[in-house]
Formats: sequence, C-alpha cells, structure tokens
Amino acid sequence: MNINNFFNPYRTYNTRVYRILVIIALLFITFWLKSCDNFTESDMPVSELNTAAVFEEKNTAHAAMVNVFAKMRENGMLTGKTNSMSREMGLYADELTWYGNSAQSPANFFTNTLIPTNGTIAAWWNNCYSQIYSANAVIEGVASSTKLLQADKDQLTGEAIFARAFIHFYLLQLWGDVPYVTGTDYKVNSTVRRLPINEVYAKIIEDLEAASLLLAEEYRSSNRVRPNSYAAKAMLARVYLYAGKWAEAANSASDVLNNTKTYVWLAELNNVFLKESTTTIWQYAAKTPTRNTDEGTTFIFNTAPPTAVALTSSLMNAFESGDQRKAKWTRSRMGGGNTYYHAYKYKKTGSATPQTEFSIVLRLAEMYLIRAEARAQQGELIGAKEDLNVIRHTAGLVSTTATIKDDILQAILRERRVEFFTEFGHRFLDLKRYGALDYALQDTKADWQSTDWLLPLPQSELNLNPNVAPQNQGY
Amino acid sequence: MKKNSLNKGLGALWYPLIFSFYLCFTPALANNRLRQNQSLQQQNQISGTITDGINPLPGVTISIKGKATTVTISDVDGKYTLKASPNDILVFTFIGFKTVTIPINARSVLDIKMQEDATQLQEVRVNAGYYSVKESERTGSIARITSKDIETQPVTNVLATMQGRMAGVNITQQTGTAGGGFNIQIRGQNSVRRGGNSPLYIIDGVPYSSEEIGSGMSMSVMSMNTNPLNNINPTDIESLEVLKDADATAIYGSRGANGVVLITTKKGKKGKTRFSASVAQGAGSVPHFMKMMNTEQYLAMRAEAFANDGITTYPVSAYDINGTWDQSRSTNWQKELLGGTSKITNINGSISGGSEQTQFMVSGTYGKETTVLPGDFGYNRVNVRTSINHASTDQRFKIAFTGGYGIQDNNQPSTDLTIDAWRLAPNAPTLYDADGNLNWENNTFENPLRYLKGLSKSKTYDLVANTMLSYDILENLKIKSSFGYTDLNHHESSTFPSTMYSPAEGVGSEVSSIYYTDTARKSWIVEPQINWAPVLGSLKTDVLIGSTFQSQNNESLFMNGYGFSSNDMINNPAAATSLSILGFDESIYKYQSVFGRANFNWKERYILNLTGRRDGSSRFGPSNRFAWFGALGAAWLFSREKLLHGNNVLSFGKLRASYGTTGNDQIGNYKFLNTYTPSSTTYDGLIALQPSRLYNASFGWETNKKMEVALETGFLKDRIFFTAAWYRNRSSDQLVGVPLPGTAGFTEIQSNLNAVVQNRGVELTLNTVNIKGNDFNWSSMINFSTSKNKLLSFPNLESSTYRNSYVIGQPLNIVKTYHYTGIDPETGIYTFEDVNGDGVLTAADDKQTVKNLNPLFFGGVQNQLRYKNWQLDFLFQFVKQENYDIPKTLGVPGMMTNLSTEVIEHWQTPGDIEPSQVYTSGANGAAVNARYQYTASDAGITDTSFIKLKNVSINYKFPERWLKNVNCTATLEGQNLLTITPFKGSDPEFVGVGFLPPLRIITAGLQFNF
Repeated sequence: MNINNFFNPYRTYNTRVYRILVIIALLFITFWLKSCDNFTESDMPVSELNTAAVFEEKNTAHAAMVNVFAKMRENGMLTGKTNSMSREMGLYADELTWYGNSAQSPANFFTNTLIPTNGTIAAWWNNCYSQIYSANAVIEGVASSTKLLQADKDQLTGEAIFARAFIHFYLLQLWGDVPYVTGTDYKVNSTVRRLPINEVYAKIIEDLEAASLLLAEEYRSSNRVRPNSYAAKAMLARVYLYAGKWAEAANSASDVLNNTKTYVWLAELNNVFLKESTTTIWQYAAKTPTRNTDEGTTFIFNTAPPTAVALTSSLMNAFESGDQRKAKWTRSRMGGGNTYYHAYKYKKTGSATPQTEFSIVLRLAEMYLIRAEARAQQGELIGAKEDLNVIRHTAGLVSTTATIKDDILQAILRERRVEFFTEFGHRFLDLKRYGALDYALQDTKADWQSTDWLLPLPQSELNLNPNVAPQNQGY
Repeated sequence: MKKNSLNKGLGALWYPLIFSFYLCFTPALANNRLRQNQSLQQQNQISGTITDGINPLPGVTISIKGKATTVTISDVDGKYTLKASPNDILVFTFIGFKTVTIPINARSVLDIKMQEDATQLQEVRVNAGYYSVKESERTGSIARITSKDIETQPVTNVLATMQGRMAGVNITQQTGTAGGGFNIQIRGQNSVRRGGNSPLYIIDGVPYSSEEIGSGMSMSVMSMNTNPLNNINPTDIESLEVLKDADATAIYGSRGANGVVLITTKKGKKGKTRFSASVAQGAGSVPHFMKMMNTEQYLAMRAEAFANDGITTYPVSAYDINGTWDQSRSTNWQKELLGGTSKITNINGSISGGSEQTQFMVSGTYGKETTVLPGDFGYNRVNVRTSINHASTDQRFKIAFTGGYGIQDNNQPSTDLTIDAWRLAPNAPTLYDADGNLNWENNTFENPLRYLKGLSKSKTYDLVANTMLSYDILENLKIKSSFGYTDLNHHESSTFPSTMYSPAEGVGSEVSSIYYTDTARKSWIVEPQINWAPVLGSLKTDVLIGSTFQSQNNESLFMNGYGFSSNDMINNPAAATSLSILGFDESIYKYQSVFGRANFNWKERYILNLTGRRDGSSRFGPSNRFAWFGALGAAWLFSREKLLHGNNVLSFGKLRASYGTTGNDQIGNYKFLNTYTPSSTTYDGLIALQPSRLYNASFGWETNKKMEVALETGFLKDRIFFTAAWYRNRSSDQLVGVPLPGTAGFTEIQSNLNAVVQNRGVELTLNTVNIKGNDFNWSSMINFSTSKNKLLSFPNLESSTYRNSYVIGQPLNIVKTYHYTGIDPETGIYTFEDVNGDGVLTAADDKQTVKNLNPLFFGGVQNQLRYKNWQLDFLFQFVKQENYDIPKTLGVPGMMTNLSTEVIEHWQTPGDIEPSQVYTSGANGAAVNARYQYTASDAGITDTSFIKLKNVSINYKFPERWLKNVNCTATLEGQNLLTITPFKGSDPEFVGVGFLPPLRIITAGLQFNF
C-alpha cells in the first residue's frame, strides 16, 4: 500500500469528504458493534416476570401461591362448577340424577360407563397435576429466595405443601395408585411411576404434618381463604381416618375441635354456608367482590323438570323425618307433574350484592364425624355417639339409637350422606372407605361394576407415559 | 462474564477498523487507474435521435465506452445530446433491444436505429434481495411481476396484485370489505402451526413484519385479524419478486422457509423532470348472490314444516307465518343489504427526474372506497413516497434514500351483514317505518340495519425508510451498508352500542361495549456488506459477505370497555363502567446474522451459486440461538454450448437445480424464558401469578429442506419461453407444543417436534409472443401450479391438541367429517356412517372421512394485446379445489331462516328419494341434529373450483400530436368480472363463511405524463 497516496494533493476535495464520511460511518458501526456483542440477548418482557424475581418480593410470591388456590377454584375437579367432582361424583354415586343429554359426559358418570378417552377425566387429571406443578414451583421458588422473610417463607411453603397433599388425596381417591409429584422438572415428571396407595398416603401425611408445623395457628387473611395450621390438621384427620390410623385421626380432629375460640359451632343450619361461618376451616375466596359461588349456579334450578341434575329420591328418602337439613339445605321444584329437589346449601347464583357465600372446602362438622368414626373404630362408643349426636341435634334430630360399634359406624355413614351431599364427592369416598360401594350402588345403578371403584386413567396419559401402565381394571 | 464480553467486543471492533484503514489507502491506487482513463482530448457535442425504425425511443441509455462517468438518456422524442471526444465509442443500451456500439469517428450527429431483441429479456436483472442477478444466469427460483402488471389492476392490496400471476403462489381474498386481508401461501403450508406460514416481506431492503396488528374483536367486521400488508401501496411498486427455492431463500436463513416477497419501489430516473398524474373513478359491487327462496317457496316450506311436526297453532314467535308479518311482502335481502355500489376513487401524482449525480422521485396517492352496504362507510388512504439517489462525481460513492409514509382510515360497520342477508325471511318487514326510523315492527323484527349502529374503525400510520450507502473501493470491490427503519401505529376499535338491540330487549347504554386494540411497532435494521467480483479469465466470480442487526419492538394493548352512561361516550374508555385489559404485550425481537454468497460463472455456461447464513435470534434460548442455513444452486446454460449455439429453434436453454436448508422462527418472543404471567383470576385480593409455561430453553428453528429442479427453454428467439420446475420441500423440527403427560404439569412443552411436513409440486410457465408486428402485438403468459401437501409424520398425534385437525399421510389443510349415507326413506332424515358402530354419532369417533381443502392445481392465463395506441390486458385465474358448501350451512330447512333454493327438492312422504331432508319447524330434534351433522359431513364439502376473469384492462394512448409534449392515456380496468364455477354460494373464493365476497370493480381513469 502506498501511504503517500493518502495525502495526495491532487485528490479532489469531494472524494476526501466522502471518504471521511465513510470512515465516520464505519467507526460509528464499530462502536455500536462493540456494544452489541450480546446483541440477541433479550431483556425480560414487560408482561412477564422472571421466576426468580417472583420469589424475591412478598406480594408476587403470594400472588404465585394464591394462583394455586385460584386454579383449584376455577379448573378441574375441585371447583364448584358443573364439571366438578361435587356434581359428577354425585352422579357417579347415588346423590344426583342426570336429566340432560344422554350423549354428554355427565351421563357417563351417572351410568358408570366412563371410558379412558372421556374428556372430563383427562381434564381432572391434567388440572390436578398442573396445580401440583404450580405448588411445587412455589416450594422451589421460596426455597431459593434470598429476600423473603422467614414468616412468609413458612406460610408459602406450608400452603404449597398443603395444597399438594390435598390434591394428591383426591387423585388417590379416584384413581388408586397415582404418581406423587414433588418437583417441577418435566423430564422427571413425564416419566413418573404410580405409587401403591399406602405409599401415597404416607407421603400425603408427611406433607400435611410438615404443613401443620409451617403454617401459623391464626388465619393470615380475612374470611379464612388461606389455610392455617388447623386446616392442615383437619385434612390430616381425614387422611388418618382414610388410612385407618384411628388414634391419630381422632387426635387431629380433637386438635381442631378444641380450638373453640376460632371454631364455634353453629346451631342455625342456614348460617353454615355463609362466608362468615365460624364452622368453616378453609374456603375459597370469591372470584370478584360481587360473584357468588359456582355451587349455587351448578345445583340450583328454578324450573322443572331440570335440564341437568337433581337430587336422587334415595338421597331425599335418606333424610329422617324432621331433619332440618332437608328443609334448609334442599329445595323442591314442581314441574311436569313431578317434584324435583336441588341442593340449596348455597342459596345465591351468579352476581349479586351483597355477596354472602364463599365455597367452603373444609368445615367443622366433618371433624365431629371423623372423630366419631375413629372413636367407634377404637371401641370408644360413647365418645363416638356424643360426636355423632352433635350433628344430629343441630339438624333437629334425636340422639342416635345405635349401640354397638357396627351400628354406630353405619349411623355415621348415613349421617355423612345427608350432611355432606354435593360436597366434593364425600358420598362416593365414604362408600368406598366403608367398602360399601357394590352394596349401595349395584341395585340402583344398572351398569355398576365392582371395578368402577376406580376411574380409568386418561388414555392420553397412558399413551404419553408408558410408566403409568397398566390401566385400572375394568377399563 | 464482563471480561469475556469485553474481549469479544474488541474483536468486533477490529474488523471495521481494518476496513477503514484499507479504505483510506487502497482507493488511492484505484484513483490512479481512473486518472489514466481521463484523456485531455477535446470534447465535442454529439446529438441524434434514437428510433426503433418507426417510433422514437425514449429512455435509452447512452454511455461512452470506458468512461463510466458520462451517461445520458434519450428524451421523450428519442433525442439525446452529450459531450464526447471524437475518438470515443458510444454505447446505446435499452432493455428489450440489442445494444448498439458505434465509434463517433468525429461525427457530431448520430441517428441510431435500435433493433428489438427478445433474447435480451434474459438480460433483465432480477432482484434477489442482497444481490441482483441476470435473468439468464439465475440459479434460483424467482417469480416476478412488475409495475406493468400491477398498474392494470384496480386493487389496493399488494397481495391482490399477484393473484393468478405467479406460479406456486396461492392467494385468497378474505373479504370484500375494503381494507380486508388476503391469505398467501408460497408452495404450500410448511408449519403445522397455522400462524407459522407467512413469507418474509422485504420492502427496499427493510424487513416488514406481517404479524397481525389487531385482535379479532376490535375489527369484528373482518374475517381475520388486521394484517399490516395493507399499508403497502401497489402504485408505488416497481417490481415484486417472490423467492421460492433454497437457492434464493437460504440467504434469508431462519426466515426463508415460507418464501420471501421482495418489494422494490419506484425510483427517480435521470433526465428532464417528469410529471405524472393519474385519476381513476370506479364502482364496486357484489358480483353474484346466492339463489335464495322467494316468499312463496319460503312460506310453503314453513307451513309444511309445522304440519310435519303436528303443530296446528303457529307459535307466537313465528311472525313470518302466523300472520304478524305481511305474507305478500317479498324482499331480496341480499340485494337490499349488500346490493349497493361502492364508489372508488384513486388519485396519484409523481414528480421525478434528476441529473447525472442525483435523481429523485416524489409521489403521492389518495384512494377512497365506499361500501356496498346501506350507509355511510368508507376506506381512505394516503401514501406519500420520496426517493433520492446520489452519486459522487466519480460514481464511487453512492447514497440512496427511500421513504414512504402511509395513512389508512377505515370506517366500517362492526358486523358483516352477509349472514343476515341470507337468512332473513323474504317476507320480513320493511327496514324503515313511515317516519324514516328503523322499523322494529312492534318488536317482532330484528332489523338487520341495527348492526350498522356499531362501527369497526381503524387508523394506521406507517413509515418505512431506508438509506443505502455504498463505496467502490476498487473496480470490483464495494462496501455498502443499508440502514432501515419502520414505524407503525395502528388503532382499531369495534363498538356494540345498545342501539344495536331491538327496543324489545329494553336495554340501554349500560350494556354498550367497545373493543380497542392499539399497536405500535418499530424496527430498525443495519446491514453492512462487502461485495467482491473479480473476473479470472473465463471465470466470473461474485462474492458477497454481510451481516445483519435487526431489532423490532412491539407494543400492543387490547381492551374492552363495557357499560356507558351514554352511547355518545362509547368511544371514551374512561366513560366505561367496567374496563378490562384483555391483552398486553411489549416485546423486543432482536436478530443478528452473518450471510454470504459466492457465485462462480464459467464462460456464462456453468454457474454455481453458494449461499449461506448464520442466524441468531432472541426468540430462542442461549443454547440454540445460532444456526447455519445454506444452499447450493447450479445452472447449466446448455444452449450456449457449441452444439446448440446459434440454433434457430432453441434460442435459450437452461437446466438448474438447487438444494438447501432454510428455517422458520415465527414462534413469538420469550417462549424460552422461565417466567410467571398475570392470570385473569384474583384470589384474596391478589391478581394471581401463574407459571407461563414449562421451562424449556433448548428449542430451536423449524428446518425446511428445499429441493428443486427446473428447466427453462426459449424457442424462436425466445418468442416461446417455457419453464418447468419440480420441487420438494420438507419441513421438520416443527415448533409446536410437544404433548406431555399431565403429570408434567402442562400438557405440552414448547419444543421442536419431530414431525415432518412435505410439499411437493410442479410449476409450469409459458410465455409466448403470438403476434409481433408494427401495429399489432399479442403476447400471452400462462402459469400452472400443482402442489401436494402431506404430513409425513407426527409423533403422538393422537395425544396432542392437533389430533382432530391432522391425519398422518394427509395434507394439513383438511377437515375431518362424518360420512353422509343418504336420507332415510322412512323418516326423511339424513343418515351418516357410524364408523365405530356404537350406535351414537360422536365427533371424535365418527368424523373419519378426510376432505382436502388445499387446491389441487391453480394458475392464470394472461394476455396482452396491443394495436397501435390501444392496449388490452386480461387475466383468467383458475383454481381446482374443494371447500365448505356454504348454501348447506345456513340453517335447518323449515325453521325461521331463509335458505338456498337447493332445499326445495326435499323428502315429503316415505319412500321419497330427494336431496334435502324433511322440513321441521325445530320440533323434530333428530332432524335438527341431522342437519348440523350434515353440514359437518362430507356432503357439506363441495367443489369450489372456479375460472375467474380476474382482471381486464384497456388503455388508449392519445396520439402525441393531440397534446403537445404530454403523454395521455385513458384506462378502463375491471376486477373479478366473470366467474365460472359449479359452486352455488355467492363466490367460490372465501376463507371464512359469512363475509362479503370479493367485489367486482370497474374503474375508468386518465393518466398524464409530461
């Protein structure tokens, strides 16, 4: 290269200007290139929040946790909507009759003719595990948080573990052996295996015990919409009972019942399902300040014959005469020459002010009946009857006449039927726990088979994760 | 981390610095060479006239051999003047004519007669994006139309201009509503994601995002979300190239899978200042209506339906037949509601010109299109464009700027009236009462004009600007860089005021609602490049290396306002009693790459073209952010072999082939991040935050492997030019939600699914010059394309969300239907095959018949005839396809909805064999159900093939002696003039059901050039 040419005096002025311009442009690009060494590295989007950042701040961490409860309220089987287990498992057992289109999914629940490709079954399964994923994400997020206060960490972890155990409990009840998912790694979670029922119970109990220690004794928010330590104990009482651990079940129920400061028994049945009810242990927060419960919309009908569900005559006949629950928690509608009944525990539908009801998930009556059953199983018959009679007296009934253990247990089963109808499929779960499904259902349900005690695994699940094979028997 | 990035930065710093220094020193060498050429001989004035033997030829380029700096162009009269030395040699070049080279030999007047040369068409340079290539020497598959074809069409959308004119490019109009969009597919659907099949659009080197800029509800009158392509003004386009195969698209790497559409706008030309203006006025109307029943036929159907159902007392709500409505009325509702004429106005003006060094062009367009609906609706657009080119005196430094700004203002009703026009009972009451108010006929009539109370409005402001700097370091070494910027602002809203409801509903403005979407999109791009084109003996090489930095920023807000104190306040969101944010997005898309091309041309016979690109995109996680794409193209111009050279019959012959990979990154931003998103639910006073998705940072591009072989032949001096191309594209690593078991927490994960989609096809084009004379010319252009789309594989399809949409071994654009098995002669009800034999007809199990909605073949026949000053252009477009049989989707025969006359031949008594089933007023549940199943059966799919006289243009050039120095042309143009089709609906070209069909448009105009 001839350096002299750079200073060549014969060159026109114009060319020099251009050259300088180009050099400036290139220098500009150079500096700019330097700054964009990681050019395609993207900043965080404004509309989303980095997972790590979510758990560095109290409000967002709580928002991530309440998402689990909101999703339980909105999606899957633990809602109060038409495709919830409160309705569909009521149809599946002997609480509800289906009056809608016989080609729709609820008809398959009602006639016990579910197949593995049923859409509701897949939605229940998928939503449960999706909610469990979100709970596990909270547990992991909180664990790696550096800025959250210990009190918040304990509450969030406690709530997440509680939710995880709670959901697994229902999965176990409907499908038997199920995978117990405790992490968020999709590679692990998409190849999980099913655990035997006993192991699932053990994990649920382990989680609930941990939760009862992490959660505070008092409620951390108004209206009991966030579970406290007693919610975990109440759930624990139920799980011990289902697992046949009578002493532990009775003790846990007592823990809740003895907290008479918080949990005050109500003599008026019409107050039990109000949002301020003092017998509520845990309830879902309302969607909006004006929305009432989904249960109200799902079960109440104003014209008869109903287009979807009504209470079965066998359930209506199960109410003893004078049972105030029949008068206050059900309502009749006449139409086409027949009388139909609907559940009337929640009395409001849609939007209305003032808002009076929230969806109750755990309530005190169950604690009495759990302790009654656990005591009866242990031979403490007097204590069992005492607990049972608390419920009966409130309903305006006389004390139970049962005297021997088996009769008391049967009396408890009957009592549970008229106490917990259309609430989270209690009836189906009770019959199953008592080993009474076949006995109770084979006469009224033409297509009932013993293998119907478990639902089919969703076909998509079997296709996508061979590790969950085999399909439950009978499907 | 920091240290690392600093090192990298310094590395990047060095390259341009080296170039800067190189630039400083080397040009000096080149300067010397230039100076040697500059003789000090005396310059004389040379002048003359250039003709084609009869007429003067304007626009001929005259240059002096060896002196790149002296160039002039002949004027309107074919006259030229320039200064040259007596020993210089003049070179006259003009596209379509043989180049003439003449030594001056000390003459001062040189009249030139140029000869037309069909073969020279092969010398046209085709824009291939980063480079241009001679038509004869291109190795890739590039389809092209120019302003010549575009200007004959009275259309406002750039995609409309390509319809029927390009092989392998399938375009369908979505709606006849002004400002509506078009669907485009270049060589079929590659991605299983419906939203992942858009081509890449480049306007003057600036990528133009075609991602939707609206939300369905906020432009409810349209069948699809708003597409920004409407902003491109067809009148501004000089040429439009579509890149199809790997050789042409691989240089666009990760964005080339679905083809590339290159739009080049008009530029100023040197010469005297030219003014041009055109005015066109026209009218548009719905060309064809569906044949509906008249009152007599309709009421007979209703009466029979009630009789069939055993209903003797007509229900209160059966106003049409129970005597509430006048049964002697008969209205053709299609004519009444859609039969108007839309007025179309287009005004266009431009000034261009320039000197040797600087050329410019300024143009402006105004367009207005009213509606065929009753009411005052319209679409207005304004486009202005500027282009400036400047070169230094030594022609080594060049700068080119183009900038275009467009404003669109669309004002339409928020609901398309088409469905009402079909379904209204023919004896429904009059639209207006005696006082001229909307007639609700005592609350018995849902007046269709109520819909006109709601408005869909949109305003779009769009800027696209580009600057290109280049510098010739050496004769064959050039550096350049382009800088582009786009800025789009779009506001759209649709209102649904309470006045849209009948007074019977008794609702007020508390139920009025509005949907808004505001979108702002800005992008910039910088693309520095180096081009080196040395000639080594018989080997011409052309090497290009460049890099891209692009950033696109997108902001959008989608809102719904509900409940207003007054309908007058409906456009003010602050007045809504409930305002909800339905969507919010603010995202940045960044893109960085290095690309290159090496072209080797040996003896202009054997050509090898290598292209490649390494792309980095912010849409992918760090581990998959970068990927290589590349292609190899080769061409053999066998007609230039000695054996065939000078052959009288075969004037041109080329065999070309290409193979390579391109990609697709149309996946949206941030999908690889581990984040939480606000959910729409609240709990305990908090807005719940949900995990956005399963975290997977390791997905990458969709890969599209393209293969093509083509033969291009010209006969009889290229008067017959035939091209045949065969291609096979396979798209894999499909970016979809890969199905996961529910236990994973999400039922799918964003990932590359090993599904493969294949598109295979043949494209034929035949261009002929049928008659060529002094007064009369006739040429034809025919294109024909077939394509076969096939889903080759899709792991776990049965468990994915796509299970009802796709079938392995079938095309992607299919519909699964019931199989119709005729009418039960006993009940008169449609019957269908119960595939799994369970006695119940269920969609999931029994919709097993597969109907392909892709066109089997399509194409166009274009003719151009010129007689003296007259010119006639016409285009027939043809498509062989199946689609929904719209007349069968309208409703249940017998219920209170008018239907096509097809249902008149129907079952009445047991034993009847008729095409349509028993009438029912709705009480026969089985018949109602069967009718809906019928529309979802294979009987609901019909042949919608068509031949359309898509475009006719006649223009007459007034003889110049009439208007001195002014070129004046009168034009008469028509669009969608005639359709031949077996389809019984209104127009066989549709995407969704119930939208205004493409309008028939006729415009007349005048053009002036002086």
